[in-house]
Amino acid sequence: MDQTLSEFGNVFVFFLLGVVFVAGGYLTARMLRPSRPNPVKTSTYECGEEAVGSAWVKFNIRFYVVALIFIIFDVEVVFLFPWATVFRQLGSFALVEALVFAGILILGLVYAWVKGDLDWVRPTPSVPKMPEMPASKSTSQRD
Amino acid sequence: MFELPSGAEIQSIISILKSGLGFFIPEIYLSILFMGLIILDLALKGRNKSGILGWATLIGLGGSFYFIAQQHAMQAGEHFFGMYVLDEYAIFFKYFFVASGMFAVVATLADRKFDAEVKSIGEYYALVVAMVIGMVMMAAASDLLMIFLAMELVSLSAYILSGYFKRDARSSEAALKYLVYGAVSSGLMLYGFSLIYGMTAETNILKISMELADHGYDPLVMILATLLIMAGFGYKIGAFPFHFWSPDVYEGAPTPITAYLSVASKAAGFALLLRFFYIAVPHGVSPYEDILGIDWLTLLVIMSVASMIYGNVVAIWQKNVKRLLAYSSIAHAGYLLLGVIVMDEIGTQAVLFYLLSYFLMNYAAFYVVVLISNRTGSETLDDYRGLGSKMPLAGAALTVFLISLVGLPPTVGFIGKLMIFSALLSKGALYIWLALIGVLTSVISLYYYMLIPLNMFLRESLEPNEKSLNPGFLAQLMMAVLMILTIWFGLFFEPLSEFARYSSAMFGLSLY
Amino acid sequence: MLSLIVFLPVIAGLIILAVPSSQKQIIRIVSLLAAVVQMVLAVMIWRGYDPSLAGITAMAGGMPEGSFQFIERLPWISLDLGNMGSMNIEYFLGVDGLSITMVILTALVSTIGVLSSWTIKKQVKGYFLLYNLLATAMMGCFVALDFFLFYVFWELMLLPMYFLIGIWGGPNREYAAIKFFLYTLFGSVFMLLVMIGLYFSVIDPLTGNHTFSLVAMASQENYIKDAILGPDNAMWRYVAFIVLFIGFAIKVPMFPFHTWLPDAHVEAPTPISVILAGVLLKLGTYGMMRINFPLFPEVFQASMYVIGVFGAINIIYGAFCALAQQDLKKMVAYSSISHMGYVLLGLAAANSEGMTGALYQMFNHGTITAMLFLLVGVIYDRAHTRQIDKFGGLASYMPVYAGIVTVAWFASLGLPGLSGFISEAFVFVGAFSSETTRYIAMVSVLGIVFGAAYLLWSLQRMFLGKRKDDAAYDLVTGPDGQEQIHFHDWNGKLDLDGRELAMLIPLVVITIFLGIYPMPIMGLMTTTVNHLVEVLSPVMMAVVN
Repeated sequence: MDQTLSEFGNVFVFFLLGVVFVAGGYLTARMLRPSRPNPVKTSTYECGEEAVGSAWVKFNIRFYVVALIFIIFDVEVVFLFPWATVFRQLGSFALVEALVFAGILILGLVYAWVKGDLDWVRPTPSVPKMPEMPASKSTSQRD
Repeated sequence: MFELPSGAEIQSIISILKSGLGFFIPEIYLSILFMGLIILDLALKGRNKSGILGWATLIGLGGSFYFIAQQHAMQAGEHFFGMYVLDEYAIFFKYFFVASGMFAVVATLADRKFDAEVKSIGEYYALVVAMVIGMVMMAAASDLLMIFLAMELVSLSAYILSGYFKRDARSSEAALKYLVYGAVSSGLMLYGFSLIYGMTAETNILKISMELADHGYDPLVMILATLLIMAGFGYKIGAFPFHFWSPDVYEGAPTPITAYLSVASKAAGFALLLRFFYIAVPHGVSPYEDILGIDWLTLLVIMSVASMIYGNVVAIWQKNVKRLLAYSSIAHAGYLLLGVIVMDEIGTQAVLFYLLSYFLMNYAAFYVVVLISNRTGSETLDDYRGLGSKMPLAGAALTVFLISLVGLPPTVGFIGKLMIFSALLSKGALYIWLALIGVLTSVISLYYYMLIPLNMFLRESLEPNEKSLNPGFLAQLMMAVLMILTIWFGLFFEPLSEFARYSSAMFGLSLY
Repeated sequence: MLSLIVFLPVIAGLIILAVPSSQKQIIRIVSLLAAVVQMVLAVMIWRGYDPSLAGITAMAGGMPEGSFQFIERLPWISLDLGNMGSMNIEYFLGVDGLSITMVILTALVSTIGVLSSWTIKKQVKGYFLLYNLLATAMMGCFVALDFFLFYVFWELMLLPMYFLIGIWGGPNREYAAIKFFLYTLFGSVFMLLVMIGLYFSVIDPLTGNHTFSLVAMASQENYIKDAILGPDNAMWRYVAFIVLFIGFAIKVPMFPFHTWLPDAHVEAPTPISVILAGVLLKLGTYGMMRINFPLFPEVFQASMYVIGVFGAINIIYGAFCALAQQDLKKMVAYSSISHMGYVLLGLAAANSEGMTGALYQMFNHGTITAMLFLLVGVIYDRAHTRQIDKFGGLASYMPVYAGIVTVAWFASLGLPGLSGFISEAFVFVGAFSSETTRYIAMVSVLGIVFGAAYLLWSLQRMFLGKRKDDAAYDLVTGPDGQEQIHFHDWNGKLDLDGRELAMLIPLVVITIFLGIYPMPIMGLMTTTVNHLVEVLSPVMMAVVN
């Protein structure tokens, strides 16, 4: 039987270490710390904010838009780093490739921008209109 | 630890990529079209915007035919490190998907509901193109990763498109359902992929097949893996136990998108299914006996039979035309699977031909549904009453398309069924029972398809109003052309079947 | 020639398409012209037909020329199926003794159907479009010698028929139309599978390819031995024969697949009833003679008795049902079932007399039933009811009508001197001389008795005697002191008018003439029928194997 670990063995060891690391942390903390709970300590930690009300509240959708755009460019950097390390060997073809890649992402940014998704406060809140008439009515008006 | 590749290695990688680009021109063109549409959308202002965008998409998609046609001259082969293949099979589907994208645009331009419901149409056309790109890549993907990426591109575009009527609750519901089911099934499919990868340590489907052939596999794991992968493919083709999304989505989505999903998305699923199962996990390649006595072919048989029976039987009780067609499309997935089960060139040819015929008749039927709903604002069977005398051409055309969907001569749908059953019977007595189920369920299908002409011609309108409804000259012409084509190809189907036969050449298949 | 006779109605249909729908008279006349020209062409084919050539199978060497006549053979579609060779579909038309009679019958009944369609008032354009499509499909079925072509024509009949019953039919038309459609399709989808199976089993001796040609299929030496429907696969050949038989039996209609027929007839408008009974039912038995029996002769040999029994059931069951009907049209419909039973019995006898009788009965039943339905239509047109007991004593007020009814009724019950007698007599002679069907024939003779019963009884109740209290008409005394008949909701027409006479007189003449001198029709079929009997005989099969 082969004694060396296979590639999957490595993964398994990594998995085990991860479990041991997390579980070990909790275990030593439990053994070392004194247990004196009070209401403030047991409350949920929320970046120093006071946890008030239910967690089921409506967030402004723009949080997501901004977060998505941030992530896109974040990930772009991840791709560009390895590219940069070997850029010298790659030559002009790779430069064009990277420009195309960045260009596509920039187009996305421009799109979001022109559509007004980057404006945080909209000067004129749009008043919700009445729902449109059924299709039959609108078509008969056209005729 | 990883080492930086040497300069020579990098150069070779670059040169492979560069040479691959030459075989990737239609896809690049479509991507540029996609971005161009977004830019056009941003740049254009004014009232005719949606019309201009639509026509631009139509012309742009049409232009890609030129680049696809160039590819016939190219050698079949793998590119981008085995990620992507170019063969006649892929080229067939490129034509197919671009044409279906064009048809979706045509139907959208005809659909008045968009004027009323949609404020910003730019993204819509761009997404239609994005879906075309995704489907084209599905048909050509030869690597598990590429398959997944392509499928997700299609799915994500489709989620947005099916929920495009934001203020219509049914449309939003459709999108959400589609998303949830889609997420689950692609998750399952990924799990199946990972099992395959675990067994073979390969992601390229050709290499997977060689690995499976050389080293064999554990049948239990294999059946589990194929079952899970089938969940992903089955969801795309809308076959029985993975069909749950389709009636709601088909009913709720904008009608052009319903047509688009029912034809193109299904075809993309079949493109993938055929290639994956023919190449990656060939039937009977295992040196071991199957301990369970079932393999993926058995799974396909079960799926096919269940789809035919379920789709055709449940459709009987539908009151909404789009929903009815949704169930019928489940049944058609079953018929198409029959062709896959045959597992040879005739089967592939039959599937490709059936897809072509389904393209024609299903799009055409949905097109008429769009025209009718423009005039009546409704898609329920009751509102089709008496339409035969008000829109005689639409009624006649729809009847022809439905007859074709049933599979009666002299329509193209009949030839499709003929090819499928011929493929089954060419195997001798082995699949006769499948053919029997096929023909019996198509008798059932006659009943519900005929409900539509029944309401249009045999019943009087609920509100006696003898005013005839004219769908416009262009629409009349379009319907007449489609009707003639449906019958013409039912009588002289040689070009289509030759095309299908020519396109059934799949790269890698000859290696067995 | 044959292409012209087949597609003439479609050409007329295209002309009609161009005529504005308000020009009803032009539409009618175009259709009538097409039908008359078709009739003329049929007569020309009849004159040019050489009754000494057999048909059914190809002559030695495999060429159908010489055995079939008026052949038109063009390659239609050639499909490459990879290692299965190529799929060859031909546009292959031709007539032999089986089809020539049916071509004449179809042309005749179509023409009469157009005349009878004059009373259609609703959506005339759509009606005649569908009618012409139906006429093409029927004629095509009878002359097609390629199974694929036959199947296309066969299925093409369904849709026009569905709409003709469904749009222009009676109150319960939706049900009747879809029932007709579903029943027939149920039968024909099996035919599709058998067709594909046969295709893979038969080789055209001339080209070496698989073929759909019915002529090649009729010769057992063209079958591949181990193919799915080849001689080695006896089990599948039985299955194929049975499902094919059911497919045709639904059309005949044979008990227990007959239930669509009364519904369809009762709801259909008169001309469509005429077409349905006059031509469409014949397609079932024609299909048996052309396809079902010669392609599977050994299975036919084994199942003659069963077919005979079903024939007898049809005869007696149909007669009993007819006896119980109050609706005159339903009675005629059930009488059709009974009379088609004679055809089945004749076929089961499998000798020259029986087969000739069956084929002749098909022709005669076509003309006689057409007459019966026309006559039912005439009275319905006037009285708006078909209930037999709503009439009484009509003979004295509508003497011409009563006279023709009497001829038709007597022809139907097989009175000597009228055409129905000859064919029934031949069927019984054949059935008695065959050992298989001798006892079945004895039972079937009862059918004639019951047939006489329901026909004579209805004749007596409607035309003889006096007006009943709840009759569909009143008697009024006219200005000249004569008693006159007055239907409820009456349009004023009493006895037959010119158009109705134009439809009925030719049929009456044919019925009487063919009852006295059957050779013009029977002479056409003798050689072919004898050859068919030979193909089906066990001796012949022994030679082949």
